[in-house]
Amino acid sequence: MIKAENLAYSYADQSMPALKEINLAIEEGEYLAVVGPIGCGKTTLIKHFNALLTPTEGNVWVDGMNTKDASLAGEIRRRVGMVFQNPDNQIVGMTVEEDVAFGPENLRLPPAEIGQRVEAALEAVGMKNYARRRPHTLSGGEKRLLTIADILAMNPKYIVLDEPASSLDPSTRELVLALLRRLNNQGIAMIHITHHLEEITFADRVVVMDCGRIKESAGRARELLHGL
Amino acid sequence: MGYKFGYYMHGESVLHTLDPRVKIAALTVAGLAVLRADALAAAVITVLVAGAALIARLPATRLLDALKPMKIFFTLIFLLHLFFTEGRPLPLIPLISVEGLWNGLLFTWRFIFLIFSAAILTMTTRPSDLVSGLKWIFRPLKLFSLSSDDLAVMVAMTLRFVPALLQEIDQIKEAQMARGADFKRGSLTEKVKRISLLALPLVRNSILRAEEVAQGMEGRGYCLGESRTCIRELRATAKDFIFIVTLGTVLIFTEIIL
Repeated sequence: MIKAENLAYSYADQSMPALKEINLAIEEGEYLAVVGPIGCGKTTLIKHFNALLTPTEGNVWVDGMNTKDASLAGEIRRRVGMVFQNPDNQIVGMTVEEDVAFGPENLRLPPAEIGQRVEAALEAVGMKNYARRRPHTLSGGEKRLLTIADILAMNPKYIVLDEPASSLDPSTRELVLALLRRLNNQGIAMIHITHHLEEITFADRVVVMDCGRIKESAGRARELLHGL
Repeated sequence: MGYKFGYYMHGESVLHTLDPRVKIAALTVAGLAVLRADALAAAVITVLVAGAALIARLPATRLLDALKPMKIFFTLIFLLHLFFTEGRPLPLIPLISVEGLWNGLLFTWRFIFLIFSAAILTMTTRPSDLVSGLKWIFRPLKLFSLSSDDLAVMVAMTLRFVPALLQEIDQIKEAQMARGADFKRGSLTEKVKRISLLALPLVRNSILRAEEVAQGMEGRGYCLGESRTCIRELRATAKDFIFIVTLGTVLIFTEIIL
């Protein structure tokens, strides 16, 4: 379970806190959607789940591990994979295969296991035939799928996605959303940030953020739409 | 996008399958040999490099592409030696000395073959293998508290982001051309000013990108100074030893080295 308790966060160069009094629990296998206007603190919030940011006040726990404990950051990041908004800035490998291998290499896995994980992750996103392609030759949708494969290769329990379907064409968007749903059905919890409610109709729960706070929490997106 | 120099070209040749450490060592020896080559050595090296390109089945056009960005430099090197080397005047063209012509040709040849040798290495070696080879070579730097893993990641990131930056330059250029900027016409001063218009957004974007890339790497468990494993293990085989012995023998017997 990922649990935020009275989480508050302030950036050093800003007078207003970016997050205030966030209390949230995400269960294993859950599909949680986080919606809200630009600048409301969604990205800041999810960076706490991966220990990229640590709370100014309060605590964030990942499976009982406090993200403030730097010695646990490696294990937390193995369990909570993060897919960033801009795939170009997440892809670090010189080929697709090497990019997917980057995470398992950091986990110091033996080469044979890295190979197996890379193959399985690329197969899961339908990119097995792309292993030797150079990342800059991929389309936007392919890059997005690659960043999901990057995270899958680390065998995460939770995947945090920052607007994973933004700037994709409708068919690729459907492909990405179907993939996320399939992965969730396999037991991986999803924390999905978006502006588009149609992307999260299948989410178990929707959290609405505004001005750094959780404004509303609803069940399915449909309930939220009925409430509006 | 015109950037094609040195890109890995997949193949099954002996050169493609050699251990990258062996190829890096061969390039280093070839580089030193090229820099001190006389006429005989130049002929032997020319045959060796041409032979390597043929064995690896690298298209001549791709190798020649590697020289294009340097053509002004080559012309300058040739002309400087041609006109500023003292010696016996050339029959019919007294302005030029025989030694000047020879030095011009030899020095230009040296730079061309340095580039050819490097291009053959990068075109026959997967970038990841090249980085793994460099990582192995960098290992003694641990004595100076430098991590070979980190240096290898730095090299890999440079190789990864060069094409991305070139793409970005194209995008910035197109965006500015759409608003009336003309990069082809104008005086030299105007052209320099326009390049600065390209450089500013590029530097700004690169700094912003660096921060996000760093977060992305950390998010995937990368930690500065920590050791990492690699998807491919380097293993020297009999083929690598035969290559080293053959190359060493040829270079020693033709007195190119030692």
